[in-house]
Amino acid sequence: MLQYSLRRILGMIPLLLLTSFVVFSLAKLMPGDPFGGEIDPSNTDPQYIEEMREKLGYNDPIHVQYWRWVTDFVQGDFGKSTAHKMDVSKLIAQKIPNTLFLAVVSLVFTYIFSFLMGMYAGRKPYTLGDNLIAGYNYLALAIPSFVAGIVAIYFFSFQLGLFPFSGSVKVGLEPGTWEYYQSRFHHVLLPALVLGLMGTASYTQFLRNDIIENSRKDFVRTARAKGTKESKIYNKHILRNSIIPLVTFLGFDIATLIGGAVITETIFTYPGIGQLFLESVNSRDYAVMMTITMLLSFLTLFGNLVADLLYGIVDPRIRLD
Amino acid sequence: MKKSALWTIVLMLVMSLFLAACSGGNNDTTTENETDTETENTEATENTEPKEGGTITLAVDQAPEGVFESAYYRSAIDAEILGFTGGSIYKVNDELEYVPNIAEWEISEDKLTYTFKFKEGVKWHNGEELTVEDWAFALETMADPDYDGSRFNYVEGIKGAKAKKDGEAETIEGIEIIDPYTIAITFEEVKINNLENLWPDPMPKKHYEGIPVAELGESEQVRLNPVGLGPFKVKNVVPGEYVELERFDDYWEGKPLLDGVVIKVIDPSVANGAFQNGEIDIMSIAPASVKELEAMDHVTVEEATGTVYSYIGLRFGHRDQETRTNIADFDKFNSKELRHALLHAINRQAMIDGFLSGKGKVFNTVIPSAFWTAIDNSEINQYEYDVEKAKELLAQGGFKDVDGDGFVEDPDGEPFSIKFGHYAGNATFEGRSQAIIQSWNDIGVKTELATGSLIEFNLYNEMKDNDDKELEAFFGSWGTGSDPDPSGLWANNAEWNYGRWVHEDNDRLLNDALSEAAFDRDYRKGVYDQWQKLFNEELPALPLWENMDLYGINKRLQGVHVNAIGYQTDVHKWYVTE
Repeated sequence: MLQYSLRRILGMIPLLLLTSFVVFSLAKLMPGDPFGGEIDPSNTDPQYIEEMREKLGYNDPIHVQYWRWVTDFVQGDFGKSTAHKMDVSKLIAQKIPNTLFLAVVSLVFTYIFSFLMGMYAGRKPYTLGDNLIAGYNYLALAIPSFVAGIVAIYFFSFQLGLFPFSGSVKVGLEPGTWEYYQSRFHHVLLPALVLGLMGTASYTQFLRNDIIENSRKDFVRTARAKGTKESKIYNKHILRNSIIPLVTFLGFDIATLIGGAVITETIFTYPGIGQLFLESVNSRDYAVMMTITMLLSFLTLFGNLVADLLYGIVDPRIRLD
Repeated sequence: MKKSALWTIVLMLVMSLFLAACSGGNNDTTTENETDTETENTEATENTEPKEGGTITLAVDQAPEGVFESAYYRSAIDAEILGFTGGSIYKVNDELEYVPNIAEWEISEDKLTYTFKFKEGVKWHNGEELTVEDWAFALETMADPDYDGSRFNYVEGIKGAKAKKDGEAETIEGIEIIDPYTIAITFEEVKINNLENLWPDPMPKKHYEGIPVAELGESEQVRLNPVGLGPFKVKNVVPGEYVELERFDDYWEGKPLLDGVVIKVIDPSVANGAFQNGEIDIMSIAPASVKELEAMDHVTVEEATGTVYSYIGLRFGHRDQETRTNIADFDKFNSKELRHALLHAINRQAMIDGFLSGKGKVFNTVIPSAFWTAIDNSEINQYEYDVEKAKELLAQGGFKDVDGDGFVEDPDGEPFSIKFGHYAGNATFEGRSQAIIQSWNDIGVKTELATGSLIEFNLYNEMKDNDDKELEAFFGSWGTGSDPDPSGLWANNAEWNYGRWVHEDNDRLLNDALSEAAFDRDYRKGVYDQWQKLFNEELPALPLWENMDLYGINKRLQGVHVNAIGYQTDVHKWYVTE
């Protein structure tokens, strides 16, 4: 397995380079640069803009800029954000805890819900319950996250007052205290709920289908004949076999969750990587944009690798080499 | 981010300093209010006694960048925070005149030297007393070659500042410290707006001691524990979410009434709901939200005529980047009758009512009416909406429909059409650009939307910068800030003169209004009157309307005074009623 992993990791490198080249070119091809929009005639000197452009190297030909960026990047210098005027690494380090927290909590929600729904639907296929569950899942898949987010806010936050509607923590709390952590958890619940519930579709349906298939297998018939309890058959034997595809999803989801919650983060004013990414594209903050892109590409590839490895562990029939 | 309407785009284009973002997308839902409940739009005057205590929340739609030093900030949100934590030696009053704040000044006989006398006993947030050294320190820092902020032009006018910037001098020659509270600044040339263009914010010299200029903008002293002169100081920053300010008891104008201010980032799509719940006390709003907010009985909407206006630019040439001059070599709009006709054809009041919910004023000059230099409407042509007159003017200019296709040809008989560009943003932009195109088509001038659709904002700006051929007529807005001088936008060789309009009297009058003779206020007004009459007659751009600043304020917050510059006058006098 070690050899396999190493080979995969080496294989990632050319892919990452290609991705970086494509994204870099696209980014530079976009019209404008960080200084284009900030024209305040009484406040901004066109000469200053020219100077800054020279200084940051925007007037050099594109392959020169790319080379400069690549050499800096592999040495660990991710550049400086023009919008926030701080190192990109520091900026991302600041925002990642929020995103990770949101990602983990929403993943927990997704798993809990899809397990419950999947198991129920798998056990009683083609009944009304099963159809309702399928219906709900596809509806959740179809509804755009900003609609769901806003409705959730208006209902749960404004009407019922159960959850706060914005931010990651209540104003005025000292970091490190129990109330601080409580408040952070309280704040993450609603966005995580929205994200989690909306993403159950694939998990549920896969789990359900797998359970149905496995319940037709011979070993189930044997177990029944032996007199094993129904619940034990489902919850132990069949479930263990059916979890396998879910494990692979986990790998893919790592990257999606970290970068993909853009809309939800924006609506809930929950500052994380997704929002940072969107903002950097809009303001042509190249350093941040490139770093986040590389981060997400790496995570996607890494997630794939993890998924494959996990698959090998969970299913003894599979051998990786 | 989805803050709607003209608002963000306008602010972005000029007064704001950064984040050209905001491709807007209006998600504000307008509620059906059949019964026109007229909530009294009370002036936020005191109807209760001012009392101490309480915290208010200011909602903003974008995260502040967190640069709490006025020489370095870029984002408009940071500017709002600095409105609470910062202090300047002079300020701008309701009439947009520059008046003393922490310092008074006298002007020398030759008008080159201004001597400033600071108030004594003004304290910084860290307890140090303000002296003229702090201000000299600020000016020297901004002239330093390592200074990486964008405001060198605010010290450029001082004698010797350029020399320091170019590395030829260690300090600025024109700054002379006479005693801890008196300082004399000598300028390079005699200009009426030397004072307006002089940076008015001191920096806390002791607090920044030991930090090299190159690192100052990113230092902790600026970002994490800033020191200012204002009534509130920064207590806590959670990046991307909120900034918490607390009262500074030793504020030089007296202890502020409020305990603190929280500047919170709230997505515009939930802002109205947050207002409803009383979670927001004050916020700058878009015209589309006015109706919904007025219907809430604990909220009032304050409006003020700001310094922002919208216009349609017409291209006359291109800019030569090498020589930094504008060259008039595109003659499509050279006919004055054509230009007049184009403005008469647009029903501006209807557009204000339709697209800005009535929150705008028809405008026929390019100096906002809040300025003392703005010319009276009675003295200039109002270009009323008059389709017949527009058609007559076209005919007079030689534009006649020769081939009977419903559209006029130019005086040489060649087919004539205009490409009109507008940038993308919220829902009203589409309607607005179509309205303009339709108005011109109706008088027989064939008009099409440049590139076929609304243009992405950043691309639009680049096209204007580069005099792209697709943009022949284009929509734009400017916020002028508090300096009445329009040279930056309309002078013959100004970079922001996107239309590249060149006229010999243009620069002559603008420079005259800045000269020594202009120190006589009546003389200066007279010159600007002449310039505005020139502009009004020549009509190199079609002024459309002035935008109004709109603020939603929770009735629990009292003492807010809104003027053309903004809402942050005397924030130390704000108080809450419960």
